[in-house]
Amino acid sequence: MSFLGGVDTSNGVVLDPESPLIGESVRGRILAFPFGIGSTVGSYAMYQLKLNKVAPRAIINQSAEPIVATGAIMSEIPMVDNIDISLIATGDRVAVNAADGTVELRDVTERHVVTSILRNRGRILILKRSDKVGSYRGSWAGVSGFVEKAETYEEAARREIVEETGLGKVRFSKMIPSRSFRDDDSVWTIHPFLFDVSSREVDIDWEHDAYAWIVPDELEEYPSVPGLHAVIKNLLEPTNL
Amino acid sequence: MHLTRDEESVLAGEEGGGRQKAMELLVALGDIFGAERLIPVKSAQVSGASFKTIGDAGIRWLEGMSEGTRASVPSMVNPLGLDIRRWRSMGISDEFHGKQARIVAAYMSMGLRPVYSCTPYLAGYRPRRGQHLAWAESSATVFANSYIGARTNREGGPSALASAIIGKSPEYGLHLDENRFPKVEVNLPSIPEGLVPLAGYLAGKAAGNRIPLITGQALAEDEHKSFGAAVAATGAVSMYVSDRTAGHRKASDIDRSMIEERVTISSHELKRCAEELSGGDEWDLVAIGCPHSSTRELAHMAKRLKNRRPKKDCDVWFCTSRRVHSSCPQHVATLRRFGNVLCDTCMVVAPIEEMYERTATNSGKAMVYLPTLGKQKASFRTTDQLMEAISR
Repeated sequence: MSFLGGVDTSNGVVLDPESPLIGESVRGRILAFPFGIGSTVGSYAMYQLKLNKVAPRAIINQSAEPIVATGAIMSEIPMVDNIDISLIATGDRVAVNAADGTVELRDVTERHVVTSILRNRGRILILKRSDKVGSYRGSWAGVSGFVEKAETYEEAARREIVEETGLGKVRFSKMIPSRSFRDDDSVWTIHPFLFDVSSREVDIDWEHDAYAWIVPDELEEYPSVPGLHAVIKNLLEPTNL
Repeated sequence: MHLTRDEESVLAGEEGGGRQKAMELLVALGDIFGAERLIPVKSAQVSGASFKTIGDAGIRWLEGMSEGTRASVPSMVNPLGLDIRRWRSMGISDEFHGKQARIVAAYMSMGLRPVYSCTPYLAGYRPRRGQHLAWAESSATVFANSYIGARTNREGGPSALASAIIGKSPEYGLHLDENRFPKVEVNLPSIPEGLVPLAGYLAGKAAGNRIPLITGQALAEDEHKSFGAAVAATGAVSMYVSDRTAGHRKASDIDRSMIEERVTISSHELKRCAEELSGGDEWDLVAIGCPHSSTRELAHMAKRLKNRRPKKDCDVWFCTSRRVHSSCPQHVATLRRFGNVLCDTCMVVAPIEEMYERTATNSGKAMVYLPTLGKQKASFRTTDQLMEAISR
């Protein structure tokens, strides 16, 4: 976002045809965008918005850069950075605490989910979600489920494996950082695990109606839940020590 | 960022709102760029001085900041939108002059020096090798880093003003040794007469955001001035390394270990660039002095024009600093027969779009800004071609 020319300083309306916010007003709202670009005079354009009483109430950035940070300080607009703005949608009720650097989405619920990839002699297990589950019916996925109260992520992962595959003997191999994505009024936070198993004998429950042991390259042939490719790629990457 | 106890108390507002805001700016920028601390600077040079560029918002900001704050290190200002003494002869409106006067008053009340120039190093404030500065003007920054060997990032106007007030700058970027190595070699085997600014114009494009190593040329000081200004205008870089800058380094001292690309800009390419930027042959204005002319440059032009008469078919601006202007009254008198010798301002930040449509210049930097900021149909000519064109 460029404030110089990108926003009408008389009324706060976004003018930039490249911006998904074109036509929206920033006036009195919390403005989230990845980062600022353009001329350093953009800091003064932000100050002009403030003088014209059409400045945003607060700014949320993926990563701060000097032009917007300078403009925010000049204009005394609270600003928070290092926020994954892909989780924020236009129209959300948002609370910003610039002193702590935190952002709260008031109407959005974060749901923690584990997803486990089971590996046996170079092949990995994927499962086809049945018609009876609540989401992504018919899509292929890892062994997944909600994290329950008073349960660690690894405990949740092991419980789901027993419930969904009947495999009791699994050996922990790897956990990678969680990833989050926005879907309607939920933020799904996925905690990915990799386990090694000694058997390919799987006993699926009602949540799935098919399974397959595939080599990772075959994954593209299976329509899968969002983000599964990236999760599997990262789980199978050799760890840099 | 680690702050000393004194810095913490400024940040907490114990020395007033203006100093607090200045400290907030420096700390926020330090955090963004991963600086560990603030370091003292020898001088500051503040951009955002023309009413044309900063507008009413800039006036209000500067007037607000000026309440209760003073510069704590020698601090200069970039060119204004007019010559303080000769603004009427430029065709500047009373309204613009009134707005510009408020900006000047705000800077004066903060104790900034009345040096309104992009060449503070020719106007009595020449830094020394190794000194840390907080300068904002891109051509001055690149000259200080590359030719003088001082150290400054290219500051924004507000952050340079914050450094003027606090006397410090966050330690990151070009303040640190590890960020001053060249990454791309730009070889200039030969530069046709008058085309040094275009060599900078093309070198900046080749460099992008990488510090270039310039090889093949031993440029004179004035050539570094015009070359660097163009490098900083077309490239996102505030420094280059030259392997033949007399007295500064031996070629064998240059660390080439990080060079990832080599390019050559031939004299043929420079001539082609001059052709592409040549524009039309009829102009409303001939504008010289971007960056501000040195005494040597004024002397050269005066010599070219000495036994000739003015043609008077367009306006002419010779832009320079007040210091250089007063150093050579005879040259100024000669040049004045052919046009306006202006101080405190230039064709990039003056409101020339209100007065002219077609401008010719000898500056690579101005060729970047005249069409955008100045809304001009711009034509590049060498200095000697322009002297020829304005005289007979």
